[in-house]
Amino acid sequence: MADDPVIQTEDLTKIFEKGKKREVIALDSVNLEVERGEVFGLLGPNGAGKTTLIRLLVGLLTPTRGKAIVLGKDVTKDINYIRERVALLPQEAGIYERLTARENLVYYGGFYGIPEEELHKRADRLLDLVGLRKKEDYQVKGFSGGMKRKVLVARALIIEPQIIFMDEPTTGIDTLGARIVRNTLKKLSEEEKQTIILTTHDLNEVSELCDRVGILNEGRLVEIGKPQELEEKFKAANLEDVFTGLVTGEGVFRE
Amino acid sequence: MRIPKLSSKTYWMLKKEIKEVVRSRWLLLGFIISPLFAWVFEGFFLSFIVTQSVEEAELVYYTNDDTGPWGANLIRNITGAKESLKISELIEVTKQQGDAMVENKSVTVWVYIHENFSRELEETTESNIVIWINSASIRASTTAAMIREYSYLVINEEIVIRDVKVTTYTISPEATFGHQLAIFLVMITSVLAPSPYVSKSFAGERERNTLEALLVVPMSRLKILGAKVFAGILLTMLYSIFTIVGILFYNWWIILRASALPATFANYYVNLYTINVATIPLIFFSQFLVLLCAIGIGITISTLAKDQASSESINNLVLLVPTFVVGILGFTGSILQYGGLFGLFVLAIPFSHAIIIWNSVFSGVATVFSIVGHVLYLVAFTVLFLAIGAKLFEREAIIS
Repeated sequence: MADDPVIQTEDLTKIFEKGKKREVIALDSVNLEVERGEVFGLLGPNGAGKTTLIRLLVGLLTPTRGKAIVLGKDVTKDINYIRERVALLPQEAGIYERLTARENLVYYGGFYGIPEEELHKRADRLLDLVGLRKKEDYQVKGFSGGMKRKVLVARALIIEPQIIFMDEPTTGIDTLGARIVRNTLKKLSEEEKQTIILTTHDLNEVSELCDRVGILNEGRLVEIGKPQELEEKFKAANLEDVFTGLVTGEGVFRE
Repeated sequence: MRIPKLSSKTYWMLKKEIKEVVRSRWLLLGFIISPLFAWVFEGFFLSFIVTQSVEEAELVYYTNDDTGPWGANLIRNITGAKESLKISELIEVTKQQGDAMVENKSVTVWVYIHENFSRELEETTESNIVIWINSASIRASTTAAMIREYSYLVINEEIVIRDVKVTTYTISPEATFGHQLAIFLVMITSVLAPSPYVSKSFAGERERNTLEALLVVPMSRLKILGAKVFAGILLTMLYSIFTIVGILFYNWWIILRASALPATFANYYVNLYTINVATIPLIFFSQFLVLLCAIGIGITISTLAKDQASSESINNLVLLVPTFVVGILGFTGSILQYGGLFGLFVLAIPFSHAIIIWNSVFSGVATVFSIVGHVLYLVAFTVLFLAIGAKLFEREAIIS
């Protein structure tokens, strides 16, 4: 029997009230299922609702309508159960600059009740993985943007989450750094069957990493499927054409 | 009794908060340097005034109601020694005029010699003159001290077996100048001390985009807030400790400079300006209440502010204005001297109650009931603002 999906949403809707009269529909009746071990990419232009969807799934926002089930639990009822088992790497995530790379990892893991000795073991492995072992005792304030991003990725992994939500994980990293992050995610997915939900603007990254993608536009999930299937379905040369066609409505699909 | 155990998650949160502050040199220096600087500077400033004030003259009023020769003799001698006694002008007033000046607090120094002064000296070998001093004025205090010493000399030198007693009343109704200064300084520095930490810890986390990841850790927001408040209290305790070190430095400065003066003046100034070390626990306790209250208000502001700089600016503005009002009222007389709406406004300011606690204890009129009442007001105010802060911290908009 196949496992239940680790993420399941039903008509998930989020409306923000701007003042007394104005409402903004950030997410509109999204139905989505993500299987265990899947790398799922969320694509969409700025303001499409990608970040709102992730925030709803980790309980930072409360749905206006609909339901979100993560790891079998309702996000509005069992959020602590979910939070113990998921990690979030937010878009433009900041880092504690006065702490060292290792401290950033260990302190974050400490919030999850993991014993200190175990945290240090995991930190050793992760700092090796992202290539920052030699700089582990340096305060992060002196790090480049790319190095900080690597620390953040390692920080998300230290709790060994069942699901990782990553909002544009390679934004701001140099090519080599982005490659390390991508390889790390790939390894986690292939070897450890890690479930990863990531948003990105890099369509090559989606093609390389994601088992399936969902395309969001103006709060609605307009298409969902494997990258190759979408290309075939829309007779597009590549995923970029699929994305552009769906979002702009321009005829970029092949005849 | 079971001591509540700190959960490991709260421990990590505390460790992170404190480590970050310890690594931030300016923030740490603020907690250590600012109380030390404030007190050492004030000590230096006041001790400078102490030595300078003996060179400046003051206006003195006198009333001689004595029907015998000794009152006139004393006034004649004082008039003759005007310059050495640092009297700029010696003005005779009636007892009614003197009483009126005392009543409306406009008198600087008023020497009152009663009608039976000579008779008492001659019949009992003892009598008494009264000197009213506005102790808020440094020059008045100096001149009065000199007149008092001189009065002893005049009467006791001429008739050795006769002893004049001088009764001194101060018209500043509460605490000494030193205590008033302590109150003002402790208040002003305490309300501002938590501001950088509180602003960094809430508005700063949002500004640096670290808040979102923090809010998804498996801790309730109330626990996160609680850990941050606890860290704030621990850090501001450091501030309180250095306030005490600063007070000791302050006392040392005053004693050092006063020691250059004649012994009587030195004692007078030391008593007037130094902070009684026995009152330090009270200062520490009241400061703790003020810091706690400032943290509560600061959290509310910080959870609403756009960024750390705005949070600090608004916090300082919101806290400084009422603190200046109550602090300056403490210098000009009683904090309770105003009635009506202004009086109510002053009493509504939580820090007023810390000042009232200090004043009432220093002037010896405090009762357990009144102290508990004022402490409860401060605590209630703090709890109210912490609750508002917690509610604001729970909002979805905190991350946007």
